[in-house]
Amino acid sequence: MEFFLILGLLASAFGLVSAKRLSVLIGNFSLQSLLLAILTFVEAVNLGQLGLCIIALLVLALKVVIIPKILSNITKEIKVNDNLEFYLNPQLSLLMALLLTYLCWTFASVIFVESDAVAKMCGAVSFSMIALGMFLMIFRVKALAQIIGLLAMENGVFLLAALVLNGMPFLVEMAIFFDVFVGVVILGVFVYRINRLFVGIDVSKLNRLRG
Amino acid sequence: MELLIVLAVPLVFSLLGVISNSHKAQAKIIFLAYLLNVIFSISLAYRFLVSQQPLSLLHIFYADSLSIFFVFTISVVSFAAAIYSKGYIEHELAAKLIAPKTTKYYYLLFNLFVFSMLLTVMVNNLGLMWVAIELTTLVSAFLVGFHNSRNSVEAAWKYLIICSVGIVLALLGTIIFSYAFFLSSGVKSLNWTELFIVAKNLNPDLVRIAFIFIIVGYGTKAGLAPMHTWLPDAHSQALSPVSALLSGVLLKTSIYAILRYSVITNLCLGSAFSSHLFVFFGVLSLAVSAGLVLVQKDIKRLLAYSSIEHIGIIMLGFGLGGIMGTYGALLHIFNHAVTKSLLFFGAGNLVNAYGSNKIRSIRGALKVLPFTGFMVLIGIFALSGFPPFAMFFSELMILAAAFSQGNYLLGGFILLVLSLVFSAVLYQFGKMLFGEKPDHQPAVKEPFSIYLAFLFLLALILVGWSGLVNSLVQSVLITLKGL
Repeated sequence: MEFFLILGLLASAFGLVSAKRLSVLIGNFSLQSLLLAILTFVEAVNLGQLGLCIIALLVLALKVVIIPKILSNITKEIKVNDNLEFYLNPQLSLLMALLLTYLCWTFASVIFVESDAVAKMCGAVSFSMIALGMFLMIFRVKALAQIIGLLAMENGVFLLAALVLNGMPFLVEMAIFFDVFVGVVILGVFVYRINRLFVGIDVSKLNRLRG
Repeated sequence: MELLIVLAVPLVFSLLGVISNSHKAQAKIIFLAYLLNVIFSISLAYRFLVSQQPLSLLHIFYADSLSIFFVFTISVVSFAAAIYSKGYIEHELAAKLIAPKTTKYYYLLFNLFVFSMLLTVMVNNLGLMWVAIELTTLVSAFLVGFHNSRNSVEAAWKYLIICSVGIVLALLGTIIFSYAFFLSSGVKSLNWTELFIVAKNLNPDLVRIAFIFIIVGYGTKAGLAPMHTWLPDAHSQALSPVSALLSGVLLKTSIYAILRYSVITNLCLGSAFSSHLFVFFGVLSLAVSAGLVLVQKDIKRLLAYSSIEHIGIIMLGFGLGGIMGTYGALLHIFNHAVTKSLLFFGAGNLVNAYGSNKIRSIRGALKVLPFTGFMVLIGIFALSGFPPFAMFFSELMILAAAFSQGNYLLGGFILLVLSLVFSAVLYQFGKMLFGEKPDHQPAVKEPFSIYLAFLFLLALILVGWSGLVNSLVQSVLITLKGL
């Protein structure tokens, strides 16, 4: 069960990289968060930890429902073109993603030498999610894709914390959720401002400050 | 108790400031707030120096000498920025650069920004420290983009995105540290004090990798090259009091985070590993800034690149280590904070008077703004490390550390960069300060609050190597050695 969920997370990260439209990107992110929420919930039940249970529910509420809703509202309100523009096309992106995943796998098997198979796998997938999220931020033109890339990176870190570490201290976890949520809202505000001042949300237009 | 008061003052007064709509009242409230803050942080420092015992509260707040040194630096610089804000915002209002209704948001964000920085250096839990640092980014992004112009929104976006990526990497480092702690003790915890006790038993491979993530992650926020790219944009577009806070103390809070982890890393791996990383990033930052200071056309960007240079010097000081290097680096943190704030205030006045931040449009500043011009001139010499200013001593110590360890190559490199940057800065500022003023340019008189802010910082620049700062630095040295 856990094994398939972790693989599903990796697949959804690839889905993010290969998406051609903004709506698909947001949908994929929502799916990734759903898998993460289920995985955390299963882990919480296995360990019998109430704190982790609440955190799984929070992931469900925040990252599966609320944040994707905010993001798709933004796309509707500013009538952004649904086509994601690329610095690197999806085919090449996928190839790069494969390469990155392989590197992350090697890296994880160095770090988690002493750990069990699930932890090792989990580490590898979480590093891949972080790397692919960063990849998305670098090679997509739209500002919203950068937000999703950032959130995908955060999902990767969350996976590591939830499964390898069985969750961080509850207070810290809550504070991090608060930060992520406020972060998305603030980034959203700036997306509106960029749209108004630069006519469109292509970050390639943000090139006035140099040197 | 003082711990809580120092933290609560900006938070409480941020709410008070919103009640009133008049800028005069808001400025009075903020002046009072930061006066209180400085007084309490000084009393905190004295009490600590007498007892030499770390203060701890509810297992959440924790302040040892390192924290208190940073609390003192943050309070002092925010006090100066609070005083300076009054005159600066008045000018912005008169020039219709910001709307009268928005001043209360400025003060609200200003207070929250200072609060989040103070929180960063006062929490024991490394996860909460991460949260506080992320909070500094989120709050200050609005202050960077306050003018809501194309340039400032671009700067704010880059600042948010680049620093958020950095901070996610730092979170990864935090988790790997916590995992290493879990493996060696079987308990989940992110408290620094607990990590510190078992530091010697942590898995060295994990610590090594985690520390690299930490230094890259928090280093992004500290403005270390090559992750510095957000810094010149954000510093140049922010309102000038905020530029002073960004450059003077925000960068330092990230250095604080790196230092916290380096204490544990050094206990686990010996000091060579972190030293090498510090020297690597320090040299890179110096090289980048030396190249780019020469070609700047914007006065605040010029100062921003000089901040990267000084962050590089601080990292080199910690990298060289020993008593001399560390002492110099700590002193340099304080000296750079006060000196660079003074220069950003000066730059703010110049930009306001000439209505442009292009270096070539600013001419004959000593005639247009005699007081500001004179202060900027002093600031330039202080920043370049001339005696009798405090920065002379800290730079001398770092150089002495390099030469006494027989590291002539590094020492020579630092000297070369210092002289390059000095000549570039003097050349650029010489053009702005001296010479004939443009014909249509009227002479401007600065308001009283601005005089006050400058004189306060000037006093600190002159005595920054003695008294309270010196005693604090000496007790930080003990903490950093891991005793």
